[in-house]
Amino acid sequence: MMKKKMTTIISMLLAVVLLTSCAGTAATTTAAAALTTTQTTAQTTAAQATAAQTTAAATTAVTSTDPTTAAEFPVTITDHLGRTVEITRMPETIVSGYYISTSLLIALGMEDKLVGIEAKADKRPIYKLSAPELLDLPNVGTAKEFNLEATAALKPDLVILPVKLKDAIQTLTDMGITVIGINPESEEELTQAIEMIGKATGTSERASELLAASNQLSEKAASFGKDEPAQIVYLAGNSSFLSTAGSNMYQSSLITNAGAQNAAASITDDYWAEVSYEQLLQWQPDLIVITPEAVYSADDIKNDAAVSSLTAVMEGHIYQMPKQFEAWDSPVPSGVLGELYMASILYPGKYSADEFAADVRDFYQRFYGFEADVNA
Amino acid sequence: MRKEWVLISILAGILFVLSLSVGKYHLSLSALFSGFADDALGRQVFLNLRLPRSIIAAFGGFSLALVGSVMQTIFKNPLASPDIMGVSSGASVGAACGILFLGGSIFSVTAGAFAGGLLAVSLAILLTKAGDHRQLATFVVSGLAVNALAQALLMLLKMVADPHSELAAIEFWMMGGLGSVTMAKAAGAAAITLPALVLILMLNRQVSLMSLPDTEASALGVNLKRIRPALLVLSTLIVAGVVSVTGLISFIGLIAPHLSRLIMKRNNMSAWLLSGAIGACLLLAADMLSRSLSYAEIPVSILTSIIGVPVLIAIMVRGGRLP
Repeated sequence: MMKKKMTTIISMLLAVVLLTSCAGTAATTTAAAALTTTQTTAQTTAAQATAAQTTAAATTAVTSTDPTTAAEFPVTITDHLGRTVEITRMPETIVSGYYISTSLLIALGMEDKLVGIEAKADKRPIYKLSAPELLDLPNVGTAKEFNLEATAALKPDLVILPVKLKDAIQTLTDMGITVIGINPESEEELTQAIEMIGKATGTSERASELLAASNQLSEKAASFGKDEPAQIVYLAGNSSFLSTAGSNMYQSSLITNAGAQNAAASITDDYWAEVSYEQLLQWQPDLIVITPEAVYSADDIKNDAAVSSLTAVMEGHIYQMPKQFEAWDSPVPSGVLGELYMASILYPGKYSADEFAADVRDFYQRFYGFEADVNA
Repeated sequence: MRKEWVLISILAGILFVLSLSVGKYHLSLSALFSGFADDALGRQVFLNLRLPRSIIAAFGGFSLALVGSVMQTIFKNPLASPDIMGVSSGASVGAACGILFLGGSIFSVTAGAFAGGLLAVSLAILLTKAGDHRQLATFVVSGLAVNALAQALLMLLKMVADPHSELAAIEFWMMGGLGSVTMAKAAGAAAITLPALVLILMLNRQVSLMSLPDTEASALGVNLKRIRPALLVLSTLIVAGVVSVTGLISFIGLIAPHLSRLIMKRNNMSAWLLSGAIGACLLLAADMLSRSLSYAEIPVSILTSIIGVPVLIAIMVRGGRLP
């Protein structure tokens, strides 16, 4: 009897081992397969790069693939953790663990060098539009659950991570992998990140073009409201329309840059703040603008009896920021389009929807290589 | 040497070697034995990630299971374990405080987890004493109360946390996982846990005698007033040391002791050590599954809970008898 029980338990434990080792082997095989695929992709990419180089050389000697740019290495940069990072040669394989840097690498024309990106990439429409091949890349996890080994397995020349992963950044650095930590939380930090990554990937020229174009568009967005009375804009956040961005947040600058006033300017939280119906009624905004990644729609606000007395609701001044590209309310490389969007709804007489659509199309055509249709 | 000892040791050995070879980075056993002559990065992955991770899985599983055995013995209760007694949730609150108010370094998380765990277990004991402490239900209800209180505090802490960094750090810690274990962290955990582990094993005679009714244990020369708190402090220190690098790991401390007693049919030092070995096997296996079942890592507590909950139910059905 006793023997029997013991045998059962031991065999159960053995079963667990067998199961694990099976799963383990399967995983190893998959990992090996993934590695091979990656290598093949890398080779193809290299081939493409050479082809691109030839074409570039044949037409005009421009930008990143120009051998003279490559000769500038090694470069040294100071990242957002204050670390000095030396990049000895032009990175050929890059891992980006942050959607902002991934999008930026597309804008810099480096998408072919990416070998791994952050998890949940299928939630970012811009990848599908501009570089659908990114969706097939292995993912290295999220800021919460970052996968150190998966990153090392890709043998990247350069890894770009948000600074909140500072432990992982340290560990990878100790392992001899080159890592840059970025923290684009404001327009200034976004500019620094763009310059940093441009320098690190040998695409400084392209990065300067992107910054110049952004600055120009930003000035344009600011120009329309110069002689206008400041309207009050309420920015309705992603999780609920009763969450909003206070004056300390990047999102607030979209409103103020366009010459309007943030209804929630008195809130000084660093993150989306929850507000009450009463608070919203008291602010009495002229316009309500819904963020691109909101989980509700303008109809949810229109149909909510509690806010039916708001002038913005009664007069139909509820606007949904375009959802089909990127989160223009956050510091992404295309963030300036959010400023232009604000201008287009605040001063439709001076800056028409058509002109805005043309600006969006030009921007994405130039930096992301696809035909963007705001009205689609 | 008993047969079951040999079997479990071999099992642990196999699991450990397997653990060294399973992961996203392909490390072959032959490369391992040749010292990674032609794969410098592989060597770094092995030394910085794979080896410390496997060591912590084995060592952490062993420690949590041993503490579970000791707690069940000194409380004479089959449900005594870091989970049920609220040590784990108290440690979570403490760790969250460490992350929020003390900068989140490994030392502050450990100190927080230790203080939180100790407070929680003291409270649970007080509550148990207030009720009928021979009843299994009293034990469970006091654990429940402490856990509920800890959850409320944790929610409060999460609310004040900065959602960008601190909240993520707390959430990640709660899910548990060995994916971020490095050599430095492993060494830090061992420095805290090992001395406490040795001390507890040195007290094995007293622990054994405490399985007897209190009056008999006292008659046999055990100073219960001193030894009991000392054992609790040491146990909590061990749990805090382990979970500060692994995050919360549930149920290992509850189920390994039961499996061990089922095999050994007795409750002595060798059963506790066997419990530790079983704990090591369980955590090694759970960790391997957590890194190989899908591309993303699965928090290890999900897996240990899947094994743990049925065992908990089995204990309930058996009426909580110590085998």
